[in-house]
Amino acid sequence: MVDATFLALSVLTIGSAIAALELRSLIYGSIALMGTLGGIAGFFLLLDSPFIAIFQIAVYVGSIAVLILFTVMLVKRELIFKKIEDRRRKFAGIGLMLILMVGLGSIIIDSGLRTIQTDEPPVDFRDIGKDFVTYYWPALVLMALILAGAVTGALVLARREDVADEQRTN
Amino acid sequence: MSVIAPKFKLSYFIKSLTDNIFWIILLLTLIGIPLIMITLIFVELPVHDGELVNPFLAFTMIFHPELAVPLLKSLIYSDFFKIAAFPGLGFAALIAAATIFAERKLLAKMQLRVGPFYCGKFEGILQLMGDGLKLISKEIIIPAKADKPLFWAAPVLFVATAAAFVALIPVAPGWVVADLDLGLIAVFAVIGFFPIITVIVSWAANSKFPFIGGIRALHQMVSFEIPLILSLLGVTILTGTLSLSEIVHAQENYWLIVFLPIGAIVFFISMLAELERIPFDLPEAESEIVAGWLTEFSGMMYGLVQLATYLKLYAFAGLFVVLFLGGWQGPMVVPPFPEEIITEGIQAGPITVQIAGLPIVSQEMLNGTLWFTLKTVAVIFFILIPRGVFPRIRIDMLLSIGWNKLIALAFVNMFIAVGLIYAGILGPGGIW
Repeated sequence: MVDATFLALSVLTIGSAIAALELRSLIYGSIALMGTLGGIAGFFLLLDSPFIAIFQIAVYVGSIAVLILFTVMLVKRELIFKKIEDRRRKFAGIGLMLILMVGLGSIIIDSGLRTIQTDEPPVDFRDIGKDFVTYYWPALVLMALILAGAVTGALVLARREDVADEQRTN
Repeated sequence: MSVIAPKFKLSYFIKSLTDNIFWIILLLTLIGIPLIMITLIFVELPVHDGELVNPFLAFTMIFHPELAVPLLKSLIYSDFFKIAAFPGLGFAALIAAATIFAERKLLAKMQLRVGPFYCGKFEGILQLMGDGLKLISKEIIIPAKADKPLFWAAPVLFVATAAAFVALIPVAPGWVVADLDLGLIAVFAVIGFFPIITVIVSWAANSKFPFIGGIRALHQMVSFEIPLILSLLGVTILTGTLSLSEIVHAQENYWLIVFLPIGAIVFFISMLAELERIPFDLPEAESEIVAGWLTEFSGMMYGLVQLATYLKLYAFAGLFVVLFLGGWQGPMVVPPFPEEIITEGIQAGPITVQIAGLPIVSQEMLNGTLWFTLKTVAVIFFILIPRGVFPRIRIDMLLSIGWNKLIALAFVNMFIAVGLIYAGILGPGGIW
């Protein structure tokens, strides 16, 4: 059962990744990208980590994909991209990708991945949380500072008085 | 109104009666009984008298009241019933439909109008059914230059996303379609799909007004998702869990709105913005951009989008109840199931009937459903009332409210939650 799900997810992920690259329509391309990201969320579900899967959906499909869609809709494609139809480039790209995948794959398979125990119970996200507050607290504090900085920065950007005043006088 | 029967003849009356009986018997034998058998073959059947009930036995059991009860019970506790009827789509759609009607009536009364009045004998109570029939019978027109696959897919996706949201809301103890450990985060993941669908459909319509509406909706939803999520961190900090059922269980003694009033207010305002309701209905501003991103929808496509909008409204109101108003918790008002029916059976004159499998649902479930529904309806009314009171606000005001005020208030709320725990009022050793 898991194998069938795994195969379906792989087909979905890789197929929509290729579609995201190859489709002429940018909108369909970004929808295909959402398919890829959702497929990766499915892999996380298969790997017994629903916490990461749901965050993958919430962050990547829910937010990043929206940003990409938004950007794509506001640009005029003809002004930015010049279509270069070049078969040699295409084959070179595919070849490069294959070399990269084979190299990385051999390294990963060689790295002792096969000896990992797979029948252990899934890690509870509460344990990860506890680890974060006790042993890894500096990382947590650092992340909190970065996030707080990001939110403050967003607030500062949103609080541009000059733009608001300009609009009101108009 | 015309006279119902201008020329009444007894023979006509009897003929119509016999005609009706003939058609009822014919349709029942040709369609009804095969339908029941097909359903029984696919339904998971209970164990009765130590053996698994087969469809043919079940069919005979349907017509015995005392044997039909266990069958009914097994149906009610099946997953299909949960998804389709009670805590799932049927219940939510019922509340959504009632909301549409109540909204029109309420607004009319607030503005000294009559509202729906002529459909149905009493106060236009059948108006909704009439509107639904009208929408079904209307032709679906798709703009010539629209992107057809995306345009067709959008209403279905919208309903599916709203239904996924509904599935996460616990209605009574144990009565929830998807009881996730990560319910709260799953809610955010589901909410994140609404802006995508809106933007895609507004682009696919290939028309000016939907596009402007879609871009507005995107601005609004994306910027109000942040205070929405931040305002719920307080809840998670106080209850220490992400599961919606456990959040309700944690509020047994005190509702969270007592400790986190600021969070509740921020959540409520962000909820209004997420639902695109007045005063934040810029994406559908009917006086500026026709109907915003809904402009090009017609017929049942519009009906589906409308249904999904109100499903979403119910789900958000339910989420507010679950997070801040104690969910299904409330004083026990439902009387307990009479013991003697279980032990001695029902006595009718000389006959005593022992019915296995009673009571069908527990007292807690009925009570919980009652309180949850009451609270949800109250919250829905609070969502509806601003529509009769407030004007629409400008988009820059909307964004400034979201980014400047609500986010700051959400942080204040979070610090209150942390302060409550560190001061020892809540948490271990406190009054919780």
